Amino acid sequence: MPSVLAYYRPRTLDEASALLAEPNRRAIGGGTIVVPDSRVHREHGVELVDLQGLGLDTVAIDGSDVRVGAMVRLSDIADDERMPAVLRELAQRELPSALRNQATVGGTVALADPESVFLAGLLAYGATVHMHHDDPTALKQLLGEGLGQQVITAVSFDSRGDPAWAATGRTPKDTPIVAAIALRRDGAQTVALTGVATTPVLVDPDDPTADLDPPSDFRGSGEYRRHLAALLTQRALEGINQ
Amino acid sequence: MNISLTLNGTEVSLECQPFDTLLAVLRRQELISVRYGSDTGETGASAVLVDGRLVNSDCMLAAQADGHEIITVEWFNKAEMHPIQAAFVATGAMQSGYSTPATILGTWALLQQNPNPSEEAIRDMLSGILDRETAYTKPVEAIQRAAAVMRGETTEPFGPLVIPTMTDGRNAVVVDPSDPRPIASAAVPRLVPSKDVPEMAVVGKPEIKVDAIRLVKGNQAFTDDFEERGQLVAKVMRSPHAHANIVDIDDSAAVALPGVHAVLHYKNTPRIKYASGGQSWPNPHPHDQVSFDNKVRHVGDRVAAVAAESLEIANEALRLIDVTYEVLPAIFDELEAMADGAPVLHDEEDTLEIHDREHNIVHHIEAQRGDVEAGFAQSDHVFEHTFRVHQVQPVPIENHISVAWLDSDERMVVRTATQVPFHTRRMLAPLIGMEIKDIRVIKPRIGGGFGAKQEMLIEDIVAHLALETRRPVKLELTREEEFMSSRTRHPQTLTFKTGVDKDGTLVSQQLRLIGNTGPYGTHAYTVQTVSGLRGLTSYNCPNKKFDCDVVYTNIPVPGAYRGYGAPQAEFALEAHMEDIAHELGMDPIEFKRKNWVVVGSELDIAPHLGERSVEEGEMDEYPKVMSSGIEECVAQGKRAIEWHRTTDPAWVSPPDRPHIRRGLGFAFCMHGTAIPYLDMGGCSIKINDDGSFNMLIGATDLGTGADTVIGQIAAEVLGVALDDIKVYSSDTDVTPFDTGAYASSTTYISGTAAMLAAKKVRERIKERAAKMLGVEIPCTIELRDKRAWAPDGSSVSLEELALEAFHLEDHEQIMGTASYVSPECPPPFAAQFAEIEVDIETGQITVTKLVMAVDCGVAINPVTASGQVEGGMIQALGYAHCEEYAFDDDGRMVNAQLGPYKIYRADEMPETEVYLVQTMEDSGPFGAKAVAEIPKDGVAPAIRNAILHATGMRMNNLPFTPERVFDALNQ
Repeated sequence: MPSVLAYYRPRTLDEASALLAEPNRRAIGGGTIVVPDSRVHREHGVELVDLQGLGLDTVAIDGSDVRVGAMVRLSDIADDERMPAVLRELAQRELPSALRNQATVGGTVALADPESVFLAGLLAYGATVHMHHDDPTALKQLLGEGLGQQVITAVSFDSRGDPAWAATGRTPKDTPIVAAIALRRDGAQTVALTGVATTPVLVDPDDPTADLDPPSDFRGSGEYRRHLAALLTQRALEGINQ
Repeated sequence: MNISLTLNGTEVSLECQPFDTLLAVLRRQELISVRYGSDTGETGASAVLVDGRLVNSDCMLAAQADGHEIITVEWFNKAEMHPIQAAFVATGAMQSGYSTPATILGTWALLQQNPNPSEEAIRDMLSGILDRETAYTKPVEAIQRAAAVMRGETTEPFGPLVIPTMTDGRNAVVVDPSDPRPIASAAVPRLVPSKDVPEMAVVGKPEIKVDAIRLVKGNQAFTDDFEERGQLVAKVMRSPHAHANIVDIDDSAAVALPGVHAVLHYKNTPRIKYASGGQSWPNPHPHDQVSFDNKVRHVGDRVAAVAAESLEIANEALRLIDVTYEVLPAIFDELEAMADGAPVLHDEEDTLEIHDREHNIVHHIEAQRGDVEAGFAQSDHVFEHTFRVHQVQPVPIENHISVAWLDSDERMVVRTATQVPFHTRRMLAPLIGMEIKDIRVIKPRIGGGFGAKQEMLIEDIVAHLALETRRPVKLELTREEEFMSSRTRHPQTLTFKTGVDKDGTLVSQQLRLIGNTGPYGTHAYTVQTVSGLRGLTSYNCPNKKFDCDVVYTNIPVPGAYRGYGAPQAEFALEAHMEDIAHELGMDPIEFKRKNWVVVGSELDIAPHLGERSVEEGEMDEYPKVMSSGIEECVAQGKRAIEWHRTTDPAWVSPPDRPHIRRGLGFAFCMHGTAIPYLDMGGCSIKINDDGSFNMLIGATDLGTGADTVIGQIAAEVLGVALDDIKVYSSDTDVTPFDTGAYASSTTYISGTAAMLAAKKVRERIKERAAKMLGVEIPCTIELRDKRAWAPDGSSVSLEELALEAFHLEDHEQIMGTASYVSPECPPPFAAQFAEIEVDIETGQITVTKLVMAVDCGVAINPVTASGQVEGGMIQALGYAHCEEYAFDDDGRMVNAQLGPYKIYRADEMPETEVYLVQTMEDSGPFGAKAVAEIPKDGVAPAIRNAILHATGMRMNNLPFTPERVFDALNQ
């Protein structure tokens, strides 16, 4: 049985939603994760629905309100001088150049990789995820509940605020073992962490390890990740004040 | 399905399947510059431009490209090179060149956006294309030069920066901190010439690589670039268990699947014992492998293989093979594997010559000079330290790939990415029941090997399948398979024990080593022997002992990896010596200098190690060090790394960064050059009508520039330009024998063979020229500028001479053949320095600078030699810092993907500087010694010693990942 049984490129959001409502189908943005996963690791074939034909690749900025289409590439974020500097830096850090040219904002949200620094950055900015046939949903809530087969159309956020971030990895540009992204806006502070849960998570800036039960792997034990969570939160918050 | 796209400027309509990657479709269109490195986009080898952006075609469906514009490097290929291609050629920015087309595309896209990019922007672009060979320094230089040319600026020719000596060549000097460091870009080799080395015309010059055109244009070069008619695709079924008996295999469903042509496994394949290490005859015992066994011994071990019409069908066939396993207890740690009651890996009766089967000890190796116990008793101080080194992978960007077919005479032909074509031919013959004369092994260009391809890894599988199907069969490993089933560096536990007298002179030194060879012996004996050799040769000491057990376990198979046992031993040795110095209250460099070998020192453990070892009483005279530039290396390296900062507390603990400690570290490095009386290379040279030459060599250029360097040696002898030497390597039907890319031997061994062959040709040319010029004594004739010159200034061109020989008088083919095996093993030396930062709150180490000053004798080509040092250092950095195999409790590798298995990218590299310190090694061709492996030896101990300097903490286990360092800091 072939690994990828069919390929669809819908022209409308309704068409995309209808396609994805069928079983055994997955949406692809850039496809950097889903395509190899479908080709190499699946026991049974899958049908792929490519969202590139839906016109979701624009960025709209109105004052501090930013709305990024789901098919905008991470490299577009990294290169866009209108974006908050920290989100540009996190988009660049997320992936090396060629993969960054392929991976999309919507795909990053949908995959909810626990080590995604860009996703953590969006969390810190309090991003909202827009979906076809559904109400806008806070990214925090979506990560907690899961996306299902919804078509993400855009991500929006308020670009105001003073950000800073801190991370620990094996090498300078390694995917961090743990990263902390902090933002102060209107006197309030938020902190998002990677590498401490099944998705990036928002934590209490005053008690970042409360309720955390970080997983262990060869790069860092749960105990070590807890230590980093507290330390890097502190460093990120201090970074805002510098 | 049908897709339409603009492909290199032409609108095309292509048929493809939904599962086809863009990579697969482009290669079917003969756009072979687009290359496979992984399925996940991590290597960047498959990168192309889609609508002007660099993207990976391996993790993109062809269907996604429908309606888009695709550019591959073939679009650039005209008679004249594009300025980007020219810059890559001029700077030596490619070694194997496997991923060079992708890099050129990325460069073009970058320069379209920004004609004057910063180094940071260049490195960011390069971050998407992993390079295991160059350390990115020369590609960065190439891109900067290309940008300048495309802006209309002129650039200076690329070559070494010649800098004066700091020492008299023998004695240490005090380095003045105010002495300015030489300033040049990182890509430029700093060449410290020796007055003992004469000026030459071609040798010592930064000649461009002889294979540059084909590599920079993405022309046919690598195994997968050639396709036979009717070629089938092979896939291997791999064990999910670390240790299990195969009780039964039912292949009936797989055999019945349309498009499947063969399914092979233990039930239908002859059980012929062999050892897969590509070694000289007779291959060391035990021969503990068969092509398909009824037992598996590591996750990823072979179970079965299929040949099918397509990859999809082959994969489906694997899913249909029903295997019944009896899962057995597995063991992964070398110390536990030796214990009583541990699971026995090789309980089969037909594997002979296992040293202690019940304790999984495959080899026991001992060597001694003097009496270490008496030495310890005489010593004023005795120190003992234990080290553990881990498992890492060579990670060539081109995975293992082989194609086999029966030619029109029904001889077996195997085109394969191998470092050892002649060994492979000999080892393959008994497995497939054919005679050596009926087997031909062709080695095209290789996309990196680093030892992983010093193995007959998959050639038997494709040959078996080609025999079974009577069709050409290709097998290419995936990146995951490369991790699980290729070869790795041996993990080891090493204990050094050293006795020292009051003034710091070594009295007695012992290395106890337990090596982990995984489930198969392959290179186990020889790698561990080299560990003993390298661990006990660097320092003079009257009493030495090597005591080693090599142990079977159920980890993926270790084998050859650049350095071949030396990096493990020199990490432990240089850490041990550093700690002794500290405990004695001596300066570490002074303590080491007091004991390290110098010109005239005996290489005293070497004759007592190896399969042809001799006892102490049998030695008439020990080999000696005949050349050493170590003092110059130390002086140049100290100045470059600004060693005086070691005593500056404010530098070590910067007041404005309270959680940071900085440190500098040093390691003394010593390696070998080839294996005496074993490594052999052959060369054949013939003249052509135009006075140019064809040179056939069996040596295997892995991207190192070996073909270029050996060509330079011949050109120097024959008085012609390198372009007049057309090098071909290697093909067992055509080229002379060579042991292969092995033990830092190619320049020294194959280069000497080329020199000897060229001298034979030269003598014949001189005789003819003397006759043509009316000179009585032929030896007075000189060859230069492609002419033969008489003492009176008259001359004849080599073209005139060749035409006369072919067509006019005393007809002959002027030609020469020679081979060489060396009785010597002259050591190259090096001083490795590292500058690091430690985050004492997280344990994160940041390596900020690496400096290596190498005495490799005369660098035949300083650009390719410095490329070897740069690339080797960065592989060694990965070994020390971030690369590691990680497993779950059942022995499954959990990070068999680049990224989780971390190798350095362009945008995170430390600053590097390379110094080539010339010495004249009289036994080498034009004074050359080895250079390829010594860069692997010193980085780990230099970083370790820098951590010690920064924090006072001794890290005796590799790698220095954050949590390990954090835990050590908090012990």
